[in-house]
Amino acid sequence: MLALFSGPHGFTLSAWHDFFHSSIYLGLFWKSVKMSLIVSALVVLAAYPLAYYLALSGTKRKYVLLLVLIAPFLTSYLLRVLAWKVILGDEGVINSFLFWTGLRSSGHPISALLYSRFAVMLVLGYVWLPFVALPIFVSLESLDTRLLEAASDLGASRLQAFRRITLPLSFPGVVAAFLFVFIPTVGEFITPSLVGGTSGYMYGNQIVDLFGTGFPDWETGSVLALFLLGVIAALTAVFSRFLQVRGATG
Amino acid sequence: MDAALSRNGRWAMRTFFALVVVFLYAPIVILLIFSFNNSQVPSFPLSGFTLHWYHQFLENGSLRGALETSAIIAAVSSVGAVVLGILASIALARRRFRGKAIASAFLLSPLVIPFVVFGVSLLLLFHSIGIQPSMFTVMIGHVVISLPYAILVLVPRLEQIDSSLEEAAYDLGASSLQTFRRITFPLILPAIASAFLIAFTTSFDEYAVASFVVGTRVTFPIYLYSALRFPDQLPQVIAVAVVVLTVSLVVVVAAELGRRSAERRLAL
Repeated sequence: MLALFSGPHGFTLSAWHDFFHSSIYLGLFWKSVKMSLIVSALVVLAAYPLAYYLALSGTKRKYVLLLVLIAPFLTSYLLRVLAWKVILGDEGVINSFLFWTGLRSSGHPISALLYSRFAVMLVLGYVWLPFVALPIFVSLESLDTRLLEAASDLGASRLQAFRRITLPLSFPGVVAAFLFVFIPTVGEFITPSLVGGTSGYMYGNQIVDLFGTGFPDWETGSVLALFLLGVIAALTAVFSRFLQVRGATG
Repeated sequence: MDAALSRNGRWAMRTFFALVVVFLYAPIVILLIFSFNNSQVPSFPLSGFTLHWYHQFLENGSLRGALETSAIIAAVSSVGAVVLGILASIALARRRFRGKAIASAFLLSPLVIPFVVFGVSLLLLFHSIGIQPSMFTVMIGHVVISLPYAILVLVPRLEQIDSSLEEAAYDLGASSLQTFRRITFPLILPAIASAFLIAFTTSFDEYAVASFVVGTRVTFPIYLYSALRFPDQLPQVIAVAVVVLTVSLVVVVAAELGRRSAERRLAL
């Protein structure tokens, strides 16, 4: 990070000035934030009932099922993205299946499937879904179910008990889960570069390109990277009590 | 009456769970199917069974070289991360010292630093002190990435162990090294094994940071990424993908089951 300020002209803040006055970089940043917020929200929404089922339905095989859910996350990230490239392409699995079965005339693929914002968000959601269930599961698992019984004894419906007891008590897990997706996806560049095309281009891609071989501009690239780091550090600081890892923070 | 779920609610959630599992595994199954498909392009209709793509990747020297490079980097960096992780975890779990919270936050910070930012800063660091990118620079990056995972696995395990066992060893005259070797190490061995495994798989699959500091010997993810630009390489990449995904799924499941039974046996 020292190299940041030691450009050809010694210490200067001009790269920062340019950054904050450039609609391109900031616009790209907001686009990434928006995509990442949508993905995180949808993924948490989908993961909550999964974690709820595992933690509270009293199923005997909950740890086996949890492993089934999480196992894909522990395999290669790059290869799971690759799978979607094969599935979504113009000649890919979905389109060729539609041609083959005659549901769509050949030569007219649904080309918005690949190289689009949709593709990036779908793949990011796919990649992070298993992992997100984990913090929610942990918070629901530690919930004292006698509270729910007490609520029902006192005449509360299941919905009321959920709204007044389960949801508030699992809220820290939900926030942690949300941040666990949001933080890595907002700076993501691998998925957008593989399935995003130009419309799925994200802030992370811009950083990589500024350090790439085409028109390298390390100074601007460093500013972009530091800005991202600053935003995430601020987020982490604000929400740190939700991110506390039991024990390790002593 | 079950206070958490009605009968219909349970049924709906079980169905949803099953659908999500299908969604998670379907892409992997699709890769499996097309890895045996006798066609250059992975598309329907299927055009016959072949093992050609598997043969092709076995005979592809540069692909094998990349797998080898990644295996070496993963082995070295995971040993590094686990050794540092053990030292750090013992300090965090057993000692009291000033600035412990800061030390802990610092050690775990790679979890929240975006990989692209970390890759860029490593590149700048190595560039400014004049270190050429090589396998070594990738290893350094991977040690830093894997270290927090190692700590997160090891610290809870250390906290589970009754520290009076270690105190008893000291009282009976054992040195701290002897105590570690005879008491602590055997008790945390299952956690060490899973930390090693997590670090190894993290490194083996890591693209983002490696792409900034990789030298002339490319790693497996970097080879894969560049191979994706050439359609004629796609079928054999799919075949490799199937092998790697299957092996890692089996290892992950076996490791988890092994860890659980080992910790049950060592339960204190």
